[in-house]
Amino acid sequence: MSERKRLLIIDDDPEFVAGIKAILTRAKYEVDTAYNPKDGWAALKSKDYDLLLLDIMMGRGAEGVMIARKLNKDPKLRNLPVLIITGIREQIAFLFPGQAVHPHFVPVDELVEKPVEPKLLLEKVESLLKAAEERKAKAK
Amino acid sequence: MEQRRKILVIDDEEVVLDSCTQVLSSPNCTVLTAGNGEKGLRLVDEANPDLVFLDLKMPGLSGMDVLERIRAKYPLMVVIVITGYATVSSAVEAMKKGAFDFLPKPFSPEELRLITKRGLEHCDLVRQTAALRREKELLRENFAAIVSHELKSPLAAIQQNLYALAAELEDKLTDPQKELFARLKSRLDDLLKLVNMWHRVLSVDPAKLKETFKPVSVHAVISKAVETVRAHAVRKNVQIQTELAPELPPAYGDESSLVEVLVNILNNAVKYSYPNGTVTVRAVRLDNLLAVSVIDQGVGIPKEDLPFIMQDFGRARHQPEGVTGTGIGLTVSRRIVEAHGGSITVESELGKGSTFTIRLPIALATPGAAS
Repeated sequence: MSERKRLLIIDDDPEFVAGIKAILTRAKYEVDTAYNPKDGWAALKSKDYDLLLLDIMMGRGAEGVMIARKLNKDPKLRNLPVLIITGIREQIAFLFPGQAVHPHFVPVDELVEKPVEPKLLLEKVESLLKAAEERKAKAK
Repeated sequence: MEQRRKILVIDDEEVVLDSCTQVLSSPNCTVLTAGNGEKGLRLVDEANPDLVFLDLKMPGLSGMDVLERIRAKYPLMVVIVITGYATVSSAVEAMKKGAFDFLPKPFSPEELRLITKRGLEHCDLVRQTAALRREKELLRENFAAIVSHELKSPLAAIQQNLYALAAELEDKLTDPQKELFARLKSRLDDLLKLVNMWHRVLSVDPAKLKETFKPVSVHAVISKAVETVRAHAVRKNVQIQTELAPELPPAYGDESSLVEVLVNILNNAVKYSYPNGTVTVRAVRLDNLLAVSVIDQGVGIPKEDLPFIMQDFGRARHQPEGVTGTGIGLTVSRRIVEAHGGSITVESELGKGSTFTIRLPIALATPGAAS
């Protein structure tokens, strides 16, 4: 089971995505990118991904949250591991007043702040992928 | 685009209700009627009318009482009083209580139409003003978040690409080149931190903070803050010791904000300490206040700088070599403590050290928490 894992990045900042993608590609992941929620959702529906890297603050406000909510409602996609990448931690608190800093949008997710050090990024990606595989194995 | 209007007439005389309905009803305007104050208030709640005509002299709940209740509950609602006995004094009293205008009985259909038109125009203005004010408030609140996001995004993109580049070149770079990368990274980190802090300063809203206040254990605040600062202290070889009165009453406030304040002050104390120095955190009760002092034996602050360091973004002009900072930490701290109804004071002697003291109100035995 060593086929290359396929990741999708949805983030509206192409320069930032380039930085993330280079790190992930170097680590032998296959990486697709989408620069807005609409294309991102279309990609999620048309291909199978092992992990989604999702920006929260896209477009006018927190459009990334909409993706997370849609994922949560989709019976097939709700188990997709999601690594949330966000600009500012407080912004999450400000979008969800009264909630913990890290609201769990989807059943399995982790959160890192921009910019993210390569080591941390790869650790998070790996651990999410591993956890997802273990879940799959258990389900069988 | 014509919107559908709702006008409520409250009067005990059937004939007034009927004539108002006849004159004012149209495809764009619904007229609701109430024969007494109680029913009128109920309709105000249910229908949220654009305009209310209110008779001052009614049996039961008087017009003046109804007016007061409407104004208390819906300060923006436009109310025009109908005065049966044409006494100017009662009309004046009603206007003082917030009525928009008055209509003396008997009135002609033309007078009624005219005053209705003016009342509805006023209603639109009042609503537009309120909407604009809300928008302005929202903009102020979100301004800091929006601007800091705009500032952070390019920095994050630069940093991320530097990371990627450094990773790709890892085995090709010479040590001095790696040093250059490290320097770029560190300055970018500083800039990102600065934006975060600036965002923090602008987004501390005392009124909002107060909503989360509850009794907070001072011991917990101090131990969390000390834990956060420990790594910094170990690096500088500075000891942090605590001297806490055994039974301190809880403070009334927001725990994470108070931890943030103490972390800021402790970090400063460590930063300005000499190596192998000691920083002491002391907490005692003074009557109805809790006093938490952070005492260092560091470089101290010159007398002439003392008045400035607590000002917004103020920072002592005389800095020991190699120390960097922006003065934002103390500004944030002061705002947080003031939102708690407390104060921060500082005493210092050059070369001997500084003592920062935070005074906070004690949580009362029965805080009015539930509502």
